[in-house]
Amino acid sequence: MLKKRLIPCMLLQNGQIVKSIGFSDYQIIGNPKIAIKFFNAWSVDEIIFLDISREKEYTKRIRTDYNFKMLYSFAEIVLECAKICFVPLTAGGGIKTIDDMLVLFKSGVDKVCINTYAAKTPNLITESARKFGSQAIVVSIDVKKKSNGKYEVFIAGGSESTGLDPVNWAVKAQKLGAGEIFLNSIDKDGSLSGYDLGLIKSVTSAVNIPVIACGGVGKWQDLVDGIKIGNAIAVSAANIFHFTEQSTKHAKKYMVDSGIDVRI
Amino acid sequence: MKKQSVVIIDYGMGNVGSVKNALDFLHVESATSKDKGVIKKASHLILPGVGAFAEGMRRLRERGLVETLKEEVLGNKKLFLGVCLGMQLLAEVGEEDEINKGLGFIKGRVVKLDTKSSKLPLPHIGWNDLIMVRDNPLFKDVSPLIFYFVHSYYLKPKTESVITAYCDYGIKFAASVWKNNIFGAQFHPERSQMSGIKVYENFLNIS
Amino acid sequence: MHFCKKCVYPSASAVKLTFDEHGVCSGCRVAEEKKKIDWDKRSKMLKDLAQKYRARNGGNYDCIIPVSGGKDSYFQTHYVTKVLRLKPLLVTYHGNNYLPEGEYNLSRMRQVFDVDHIIFRPSEKALIKLNRICFKKMGDMNWHAHCGIFTYPVQIAVKFKIKLIVWGEHGYMDLGGMYSLNDFPEMTAKYRFEHACRGFDWYDMVGDEGLREQDLFWAKYPSEKELEESGVRGIYLGNYVDWDANVHYKLVQKLYGWQEARQPFERTYRRFSNLDDMHENGIHDYLKYIKFGYGRATDHACKDIRAGYITREKGIEMVRKHDYVKPRRDLERWLKYIGMREAEFDRIADTFRDPRVWRKNKKGKWEKDNIWDEK
Repeated sequence: MLKKRLIPCMLLQNGQIVKSIGFSDYQIIGNPKIAIKFFNAWSVDEIIFLDISREKEYTKRIRTDYNFKMLYSFAEIVLECAKICFVPLTAGGGIKTIDDMLVLFKSGVDKVCINTYAAKTPNLITESARKFGSQAIVVSIDVKKKSNGKYEVFIAGGSESTGLDPVNWAVKAQKLGAGEIFLNSIDKDGSLSGYDLGLIKSVTSAVNIPVIACGGVGKWQDLVDGIKIGNAIAVSAANIFHFTEQSTKHAKKYMVDSGIDVRI
Repeated sequence: MKKQSVVIIDYGMGNVGSVKNALDFLHVESATSKDKGVIKKASHLILPGVGAFAEGMRRLRERGLVETLKEEVLGNKKLFLGVCLGMQLLAEVGEEDEINKGLGFIKGRVVKLDTKSSKLPLPHIGWNDLIMVRDNPLFKDVSPLIFYFVHSYYLKPKTESVITAYCDYGIKFAASVWKNNIFGAQFHPERSQMSGIKVYENFLNIS
Repeated sequence: MHFCKKCVYPSASAVKLTFDEHGVCSGCRVAEEKKKIDWDKRSKMLKDLAQKYRARNGGNYDCIIPVSGGKDSYFQTHYVTKVLRLKPLLVTYHGNNYLPEGEYNLSRMRQVFDVDHIIFRPSEKALIKLNRICFKKMGDMNWHAHCGIFTYPVQIAVKFKIKLIVWGEHGYMDLGGMYSLNDFPEMTAKYRFEHACRGFDWYDMVGDEGLREQDLFWAKYPSEKELEESGVRGIYLGNYVDWDANVHYKLVQKLYGWQEARQPFERTYRRFSNLDDMHENGIHDYLKYIKFGYGRATDHACKDIRAGYITREKGIEMVRKHDYVKPRRDLERWLKYIGMREAEFDRIADTFRDPRVWRKNKKGKWEKDNIWDEK
């Protein structure tokens, strides 16, 4: 039986992994290659790298008292991490063109994730699915709840409103050729209060392609709820897996004990 | 580990980099090459690949690799591991769009996964269980027997005795084959974390 | 390079900071969170957690407390024994740099608390080699201590099958706001490897100056398998208690006769910090100044500004007074201890200067932007 998946999402800001609250408050966790080294030793099913740098200014620091290489671009980071990552790797963040994707595929990623430019130029989804295969194209959707209780899709790191409804947009993305949807709740991001299960369920019931849930995980039960209640095929988190020893191993054990068919 | 020389065959169908990374992780020296001379000197050959059967065979033919592989694998009995498309190319024929000749190292054909009754989506993509039916040195001390698959087609051997493990995706298909010095894995060991790394390690330990 | 608008940290700090749109650093933001926390609720959470780890039938120690003999060590031991009522095993990595007052405080712990105490003292010869090797490799003669403090207690926990380790404060969270207080981060092998050891480990030291694997047994962190099988877990008391160094040191002085430094330090205004390692306020800290342009006085000022004990102006005054000071007393001790000349010390130290912070002026002297010059 095809397993459900646990996917740590690594947010990269100027070359460093950060944790995020509400897409606005960031705290620096550390070096991406070291994070991969440890996740690779624990049980993870895939890894997602998202470059959320605003200025794209990578630290030009030459810190000579560290025993790890300084890396100066997203492609370089991905290349270095791909060397020790033995699970499927997805990378995204500011991808605008097919050429941007080619650079990442050459660096060793298995899938690319598009968000802002999928919404701005939806043809990108179709073109890239045709060239690389649908299974290699993930469309990422960030969602905020408006004051009237309705959901809206936001792009550019949650700063630009689109007027799009997430369910309609997810259905359209699937039609255009997306292989998977990465669904993130901006309101829930870093809140530790659980996924927005209503949002997730509304999308999973509308599309036939896998939906990866993200945003709000505060305890392992939230991951179970994401699958059992939200009907997500895969569960992701950007913050919680950086807090404790062998975090994803413990998360998976909890999921298995709760009856979820996940690899351990 | 005994002294071996490993060659990952580079025929332009991608994926050689990730296989090499896995071998680097095991601290095993390897070369990626399409050169006949280099392949002749190898003790272990790995044929990776993602994509279509027809394209794969075309590229092997273009590089004169079909003859080389016949010599080394069938003639000189070099240890050979075909991964994903690399396993499918072992067949006599492939049935994508049109009929294409394969390497023919294992009697059988490549067919599309039948999802008419199961209504499951294609490609088969994700982590799935292996159902072992025969001992296979590739899987010694490997746990869990869960691997990462990305494919829509599979190798259907004429004789079931070469199949060492099945996988279930609507229908049961061959996940792993073994005939003398020839091994095949439909899944991606280099994407199957420690279980996959161990599979490569076991392959390299065979002498 | 710029400075936090609230405390006195520079943007190029050793502890990585993020800044919000008001120019306030993540360390200050996390410190603000402290005021909103329901500490009674957290105290209850900790009591419940402690109960889960209490040894069945009293057949083992309930937990390990890694201690240095400092004010935090005393506070942790006080809390664990008197409030949580657990039976701890105290474990110390002794890096051979104790001040006499620090040594006094350390040895008295088994006297003033009803506790058993393991003090691990590595070979002085090996330590001297590591001082030299690590100073040259990464500009940090105290690497052995960062490694030992985070490794040895965990080894003992695995060996003795004691599942719970009670650490004090999460360093990077407290100083730089690496995590929010709602995250309850725990001690991990990754944190030790990346932030305490900076990506170096025992195997990087083997072969240098004839060091063998046998000289570094204490530096080997338990494997993933050992960690998984033993179930060892390291929590930070700082997640459950409103941590305040100024309050703690007064408490442990009063209750247990804990002694502060007899002489003032050259590089900071506090007298109750780091008595377990004279270099932490001395040349190790001076190297921080060489590398990043600030030192302990900045760290302490930031903590005290955030806790409301001093104003930012007072903090700047302390930074101006102490940060640049080359600690003669401490430097002389160290140069003699490991056998190096001052000229060589200066030459090696200079190779670690951060070019974003330091530049050479027309006279060929090192200079940088200072917080007191900021508009």
